[in-house]
Amino acid sequence: MVEITRKQVIPGDVIVTGDYRPGMFVQRRGNDMVALRIGLAEIIRNDVKVIPLSGAYIPRTEDMVVGKVVNVTGYGWEADINSCFVGYLPGQFVFGRDFSPSTHDLTTRFTVGDLLLAKIEAFDRTRDPQLSIRGPGLGKIPQGEIVKITPMKVPRLIGRKGYMINMIAELTSCEIKVGQNGVIVVDGTPEGVQKAVRAIQLIEQEAHMADLTTKVQQLLGAPIGAPPTEAAGPENSGEQ
Amino acid sequence: MTEEKRKLMDENGIRTDGRRWDELRPLKMEVGVVRNADGSALIEWGKNKIIAAVYGPKEMHPKHLELADRAFLKCRYHMAPFSVDERKNPAPSRREIEISKVIREALQPALFLEDYPRTAIQVYVEVLQSDGGSRVAGITASALALADAGINMRDLVVGCAVGKVDGKIVLDLNDTEDKEGSGDLPYAFMPNLNQVTLLQMDGLFTLDEFKQALDLAKVGGMKVYKLQREALLKRYFSGGGPETSTSTTEMMEEA
Amino acid sequence: MPSKSFVVETIKRNQIIEALSKGKRLDGRGLGELRKLEIKTHVIEKANGSAMVSLGNTQVLAGVKIDKGIPFPDTPNKGLLIVGAEVLPMAAAYLEAGPPDESAIELARVVDRGVRESEMIDVASLCIKEGKWVYSVFCDVNILNVDGNLFDATSYAVVSALLTAKMPKFVLENDVVKDTGERVPLPVHKIPISVTIANINNTLVLDPTEEEEAVMDARITLDTDDGGNLCAGQKGEPGSFTPEQIITAAEWSIARGREIRQKIKEAAGHG
Repeated sequence: MVEITRKQVIPGDVIVTGDYRPGMFVQRRGNDMVALRIGLAEIIRNDVKVIPLSGAYIPRTEDMVVGKVVNVTGYGWEADINSCFVGYLPGQFVFGRDFSPSTHDLTTRFTVGDLLLAKIEAFDRTRDPQLSIRGPGLGKIPQGEIVKITPMKVPRLIGRKGYMINMIAELTSCEIKVGQNGVIVVDGTPEGVQKAVRAIQLIEQEAHMADLTTKVQQLLGAPIGAPPTEAAGPENSGEQ
Repeated sequence: MTEEKRKLMDENGIRTDGRRWDELRPLKMEVGVVRNADGSALIEWGKNKIIAAVYGPKEMHPKHLELADRAFLKCRYHMAPFSVDERKNPAPSRREIEISKVIREALQPALFLEDYPRTAIQVYVEVLQSDGGSRVAGITASALALADAGINMRDLVVGCAVGKVDGKIVLDLNDTEDKEGSGDLPYAFMPNLNQVTLLQMDGLFTLDEFKQALDLAKVGGMKVYKLQREALLKRYFSGGGPETSTSTTEMMEEA
Repeated sequence: MPSKSFVVETIKRNQIIEALSKGKRLDGRGLGELRKLEIKTHVIEKANGSAMVSLGNTQVLAGVKIDKGIPFPDTPNKGLLIVGAEVLPMAAAYLEAGPPDESAIELARVVDRGVRESEMIDVASLCIKEGKWVYSVFCDVNILNVDGNLFDATSYAVVSALLTAKMPKFVLENDVVKDTGERVPLPVHKIPISVTIANINNTLVLDPTEEEEAVMDARITLDTDDGGNLCAGQKGEPGSFTPEQIITAAEWSIARGREIRQKIKEAAGHG
């Protein structure tokens, strides 16, 4: 059992004073731990961090994202990944090493307007994020309802080891693809999709509150307190 | 601006709008008013009605001006044609261009621009109705919009103007005092770091008066900061439990 | 105003078209249905008139400034009525500050003509001294948030602001224009109502959202007056309409126009 203290903070607020370790979005000033964003500060033992409630998606390598193709160049596809940088999927990654613009027409695979579930293959401070679709479940998303949420709230939507998103998918019989960039695609029956979308919107609105699991269960008509399904996948899986 | 034509304060120290020397005009703020923007805020301060909106971090245009190690901060202060007594041409005036610059420089020290290399952060300040002190109101709203947009900030920035009227240092000049008074001092600072990020001055102040003015601006600014805080908390946490809570848990809840 | 940088997902485009084939739209509206229209007047007290209009998520603010001015040489005894519109760069992510582009200019001119050519304001009665002084009425619109159909939202804001504006009463005293201090309403002749209809894959929809505009082939804006006559029109975007579709659009414009005019009158306190 561990004690967690949570505090609502805005940038500049002193969260706590003393011998603590500053984590995400926290800066030490003398003995003060100062918040750098609006969000929920969490103090667990000696660690202080802020879970932000707003903010743009900053790409990270290995992240799964849902991107929209906005341009086809000679050598690859440019995708809007809901970030300040445009993602780039090289033609070589799709057509293989012998890819060349003279022999391969990129639009035969993906064209402007297509949605892709992709992985951030490479990204650093000097260049735009590079995408890849090598991996299970990656590639063009053919259909589904598109939902956008604040990227900062995606971890809440996925849940520890994916339990929240798996619960929603199970209870609504939907296939849900979640991008770390806040873009989500839900596919299923019209009723199932509607329920899943409402659950996602509930999480977006109440991400900062406790009892989120109970509220979602209530919304989806599941028995309250039913143990969440442990997911087999990695913690931040982009897919259910 | 050193000659006063009429009395702006009566024998009891009451100003043209009924306030005492250290009173702020009525002030209201609301966060999240422009749906498409990444962050936004509306401020109504006296008769000022100003919207600040932020987009960013976003791709920098033109690309060749992008900075390798940090975000490029852009600011546009603009007055609507109907915002002032005589209709103003919508094209940017020299005054608006200067104010855009000082607002940008007032906000910059609070932002961790180095966290967003090669991007742009754009701040728009649109004055829908102007009533003296529009630039400090614009700065106050912009800080809310930047926090709303989730930009890493050292602190908020809060603005508050002071001035000199009938030989007295007063807080928060209204339009008449701005035009007819003998000193106008827009002031903005980061409240927790106590660092001044905007200071402009017009008029004649002795050193003592100047010190008085700065102290008064700080006191007034802290009152405005309280309202900034409330506006942000209201937007993000309204209806959501106590400000601080402690619980013991199995750590089942997600990060 | 669809912009080159606003790409709609193909999935979404297909969903829009599929819904339309069943007579429905993604937000649940009927083909000829308007979004929620909210009008608030007297929001900028320093201006002579003002109106904040939201049509769905599209939000615009109009302000009216009235002063004395010099008449145009070819109309020495007519007041000046100048309508301008600016899409503020804050109104959408893909906009940048700068001089108005062709879409913004088209918007301003279409709204201006809709009000002026319909003779909403009796400019002939706005003369102070023929050839020298007339009333000049400026109506400027700031678009604050874009979500489609800027034409109608802007037009409703202009009309509402003009309807509720308080004009200074000027008189001539020894050839000098003096403000009597009295405030009177503008001389309003009629209330033109703008209605915009989009053609998406040969289905007509009224009051398109930004998503719908991104997939539309063409749009047509038609203004009607109190008598149910058409008094202004503009077709835009690089697609086309059949003549029958244009007649249908005109019929919709007349029918919806009546309802919207009533709503605007009520909001202005003239209901």
